[in-house]
Amino acid sequence: MTTQIQTPLRGKVTLLGVLRSEVIRMFALKSTGILIALAVVLYVAISAGATWAVGSLLENMGDPSQMQGMEGMGVMSDPGFASETLGSGLVFNQLILGVLGVLLFSGEFTTGSAVSTFLASPQRLRVLTAKTILTVVLTGVIQVISTLIAFIVSKPIAENYNMTLEFVSSSFQSVLWYGTLAVIMAALIGLALGVLLRSSAGGITVLAGVFFVLPIIISIFGSYVDWMSNVSAFLPDQLGMSLATPLSVPTDLELWQQLLGVAGWIVLPLTAGGILLAKRDIK
Amino acid sequence: MIQAQQLTKTYGAKTVVDQVSFTVNPGQVTGFLGPNGAGKSTTMRMIVGLATPTSGQVLVNGRDFRKSQHPITEVGTLLEAKSVHKSLTPSAHLRSIAATAGLPKSRVAEVLELTGLTGVRRKKVGGFSLGMGQRLGIATALLGDPQVLILDEPVNGLDPEGVAWVRQLARQQAALGKTVLISSHLMSEMAQTADHLVVIGRGRVMADAPISEFIDNGLAQTIVKSSEIEVLINVLGSQGIQLRRIDERTVEVTGPESEIIGRRALENGVVLSELRPLQRTLEDAYMELTRDAVEYHSNIVAENNGGK
Repeated sequence: MTTQIQTPLRGKVTLLGVLRSEVIRMFALKSTGILIALAVVLYVAISAGATWAVGSLLENMGDPSQMQGMEGMGVMSDPGFASETLGSGLVFNQLILGVLGVLLFSGEFTTGSAVSTFLASPQRLRVLTAKTILTVVLTGVIQVISTLIAFIVSKPIAENYNMTLEFVSSSFQSVLWYGTLAVIMAALIGLALGVLLRSSAGGITVLAGVFFVLPIIISIFGSYVDWMSNVSAFLPDQLGMSLATPLSVPTDLELWQQLLGVAGWIVLPLTAGGILLAKRDIK
Repeated sequence: MIQAQQLTKTYGAKTVVDQVSFTVNPGQVTGFLGPNGAGKSTTMRMIVGLATPTSGQVLVNGRDFRKSQHPITEVGTLLEAKSVHKSLTPSAHLRSIAATAGLPKSRVAEVLELTGLTGVRRKKVGGFSLGMGQRLGIATALLGDPQVLILDEPVNGLDPEGVAWVRQLARQQAALGKTVLISSHLMSEMAQTADHLVVIGRGRVMADAPISEFIDNGLAQTIVKSSEIEVLINVLGSQGIQLRRIDERTVEVTGPESEIIGRRALENGVVLSELRPLQRTLEDAYMELTRDAVEYHSNIVAENNGGK
């Protein structure tokens, strides 16, 4: 048997080709499907559950307008609050899809498939670019779909408790689009951690640390050191929540400052990842 | 064609590849031979841009491979078996590699057939034996029908039929005018496959020559036995010829052909009871060349060396 074929293979490597390659591999892996399903189901369940919980709380308390004077409760009477309730699962989706981001790159190194990947595309930054595009599109679509399903499921629950849940309301639009931005940011931080640390366990641990542990640490120190509380507003979980659910998580930051913060959390880790990826040897 | 120029790689204080220069020409099989830990894999990884040389450079078809726009049709590489995600199937792995360069799906089917993996194309790679993983690695290397083929220890884990197949494949690719570089730590393997050898030990090139020269370059060795051996020892010794006493009537002569030794004996009236040229195998030549350059000595190897 011969390896020769009639027409010589041309085989020019392109960004589109690498992207296609990534898509083939990603969807051939079971972990991808599991994480996506988990993200959607968890997000919808938390949204519906939170809507029900808030609804029954309001019902038990009677007329919401009387709660104005009550500490922390006034916000519940805001017509946008029901919409913001849909964002309750945001941090979980940031974490789950952040893990997906971590695995997308750390998996290359933990399984040794980085060798195949970078032999097929020796231009390493092209691979990072392809994975970045894939992460943005995939997690973006998942979050939009999750939010839309959460809306459909929660709408009858909200109406049952006379809460307003309007698709066109600015509150819901914030949850939908800023929530999606927050999730994309988390997934890209995950991707960058995957390429920086080259370890799935390490990447996931640091990711969870950034979203769950860092806020606690900063808030503890924040009560002693003044500038620390300013830092806390720029943490990725705070930025995401204050953008998507500004009534529940108010911030002193201007919109442009928040968006700049998000951009920083996306650009800086990925840039560091890109520099190290180009420099370090592939094992 | 592969041209390594003063290629050096250090990890901390340890120099793994030390000023290595060689050329791998198309149309023949070049064996890259050396003991384990000699720097073969590191050199190969530098050729394909996975590792960056500390100094020096290596060109593939006149260019840095990292700049190649047609990587998998230019160079097919097998570095280690199982450089594939364990949860993937051979089919998905090959389709994803083919996609980067826009190769047709039919090519995936061809290399699966060629490497005998068609039957397991939907099985997960994680469950593969070393041999199967090796076949998938070779399938990946052949996917782009590349001009340059780089195979690191390709026969590792293969059964005898697989070994013969790799050998035949390498010869066939070279016959098509392609550049073939195969590494091994076994000379016996190279002896049957390679036209040219680059021998590396402790990160340095120890020899770079056609395989035929390998034996010829080595000095002839002859076992000489005689009851008057002392006379012969004086005669040969006075000419600066290297001798090694084996027992009271036997010496091993290194250097002159056996015929010359016989002539000296005749001239001096020495009766020989034995005049036996030692058959030097490539294995011996290799052992000799790398004896001091073996990174990891085992006692068994040391004993074998002593016995020869």
